[in-house]
Amino acid sequence: MISIALKMLLGDRAKYFGLLFGITFTSFLVTFAASYFGGMMTRSFALIAENPADVWVMDPAVVAVDRTINLPTSALNRVRSVEGVLSAVPLALATADARFPNGRFQSVQVIGVDDATLTGVPLLTGGATAGVLRTPDAVIMDDGGSTGKLDTPSRPADQWPQGRPHLEVPMRSLATGDELLINDTRVRVAGRSAALPRFPPRPLLFTTFSTAERILLPERRRLTFVLATAAPGTDPRALASRIEASTSLRARASADFKEDTVRWMVENSEDVGDAITMLTIAMLVGFGVTGVMMFMFTNENLKYYAVLNAMGATARQIVMMVFAQAASCALVGTGLGLGLCAIAGRIFTGYDFPFRLMWFAPAVGGTAVLLVSIGAAALSMRPVLKMQPASFLAGR
Amino acid sequence: MATPLQSSSNHPQVAVRCVGVTKTYGRGGAAVQALRGVDLEIRTGELLMLEGPSGCGKTTLISILAGLMHRDGGECSVLERDYERMSPNDTTHFRGQNVGFVFQAFNLIPSLTAAENAATPLIIAGMKRSAAVNQASAVLKEMGFDDRMMRSAPADLSGGQQQRVAIARAMVHNPRIIVCDEPTSALDRESGHVVMELMRRFALGKDRVLIVVTHDDRIIEFADRIAHMEDGRITKIENQPGHPRVAEATS
Repeated sequence: MISIALKMLLGDRAKYFGLLFGITFTSFLVTFAASYFGGMMTRSFALIAENPADVWVMDPAVVAVDRTINLPTSALNRVRSVEGVLSAVPLALATADARFPNGRFQSVQVIGVDDATLTGVPLLTGGATAGVLRTPDAVIMDDGGSTGKLDTPSRPADQWPQGRPHLEVPMRSLATGDELLINDTRVRVAGRSAALPRFPPRPLLFTTFSTAERILLPERRRLTFVLATAAPGTDPRALASRIEASTSLRARASADFKEDTVRWMVENSEDVGDAITMLTIAMLVGFGVTGVMMFMFTNENLKYYAVLNAMGATARQIVMMVFAQAASCALVGTGLGLGLCAIAGRIFTGYDFPFRLMWFAPAVGGTAVLLVSIGAAALSMRPVLKMQPASFLAGR
Repeated sequence: MATPLQSSSNHPQVAVRCVGVTKTYGRGGAAVQALRGVDLEIRTGELLMLEGPSGCGKTTLISILAGLMHRDGGECSVLERDYERMSPNDTTHFRGQNVGFVFQAFNLIPSLTAAENAATPLIIAGMKRSAAVNQASAVLKEMGFDDRMMRSAPADLSGGQQQRVAIARAMVHNPRIIVCDEPTSALDRESGHVVMELMRRFALGKDRVLIVVTHDDRIIEFADRIAHMEDGRITKIENQPGHPRVAEATS
């Protein structure tokens, strides 16, 4: 009976392709939205991902890497004193306005890393090393997923002009040797880095902790995180628990802190709402197209189902046939949708689009397609179950 | 399900017995009485034609005989079974084993080949597709189909050929009753005669009953008996044993 059902399905090319289109569209859009969401979330914890620390220690009120308040400096030594901590270094996070040579200003995230180890500085472009930060007033600039926000005037005449800023002038990308003002303190660009893109995108300024303390506006506390490395054989989660017990600070293993950040983003970010809206639209359009096409297909084949019923096919067999048709479309459509999504992902990531096809994206896409297909099959099932084979006698 | 009335006797037995069968469509003022007390007996080995004007209740009667429709009143046993005492599933199974259908509009599934269409009742009964198609092909071959025709889609066959596939489909699983609803109305005279000859030759056996609903006078001569219906009643039953056409087709 399944073979008959599939032959009936494939025999009506137009409707078969209509069904496939609906399901492929649903699968593609849902998987794409889920991958977009995955990309956003991955970027939201980029700072954690590119830092080798095993445990992040923070104020007890901090729940995500971008929502911080600072710690007293003594926290660093308190963490260092906990058994199982191999090393602990400070990290400062702050936001500041950088003034460019032509007078333009741009908000940047300042990341102050440990002066001694320079832990957390990403790879630099042009073969430079993090050691460039050891020169006075040195900073490393990074796009952080943004575009065109680190441009500086190309002509010397437009740099540090007297009087009004020179905004509408030829620009070039910020390069090693350029200078910026951070809170009226002049810093020198010692290199450009290729850090993981951030979500939301923003320019990043890496410098040493001591330089960060000097260029940022004075605050009673400057230490944002203490980054601990576990001693060999020490489980980061166990170490985090021990640090919490010993210091009363919040300590999270790196993987757990990523999860915390994602959870916070899901609960608070408006972009997540956009992704959910996209998913809902995909489901509705997919259900609409698939449901209508499936209903039309089943309705047009109603007389054949009635003939089969007259010839002894039970209602169960006919229901199985309709579901086999829906399942076949779902399977092929899901595959096509996932394939298209993977191709789209390859293209979009080339344009720095936050796309990451994680394990859950195909699962979400598959589940959505399953729901759409079951819904469509159920919708088209009603006339099949209500049909009267006798009404198809006499050519009706 | 065991088929009642299995007999090796040469004496015809009563396969269908209806007494006072009534059927009404609709309710109240819109009610239409389609059958007003039909009495009918059909014996094995017999080709009975139901003849009468449109709306006289022919299709309603065969729908009830084939277990596709419930009657409102009267008694009716088919192969000694009463559909009204069977569950819907049992009725469907009984129909699958004991009743074959030939429809006016052929109702072949367009995406299946001729052989696959003819094999459908066997596939429904649970036979493997390849075995079912082989068995159906053998039946079609007897009816003059070659390999190319068996692989053809219904749309590539003529009306007469399509009706032959429908006949093969109706008899491939060896049912005891074959119900034909206007089987020749979509065919020209010559094709209609060929179809009726095939039905007599292949579909009618000593243990089988053929019930043909028609108002096509051109094929009346193939019947053993003709039941004339009018206004929901059988008004007259004519016997025509030994009619030259019957003898010719049977031989």
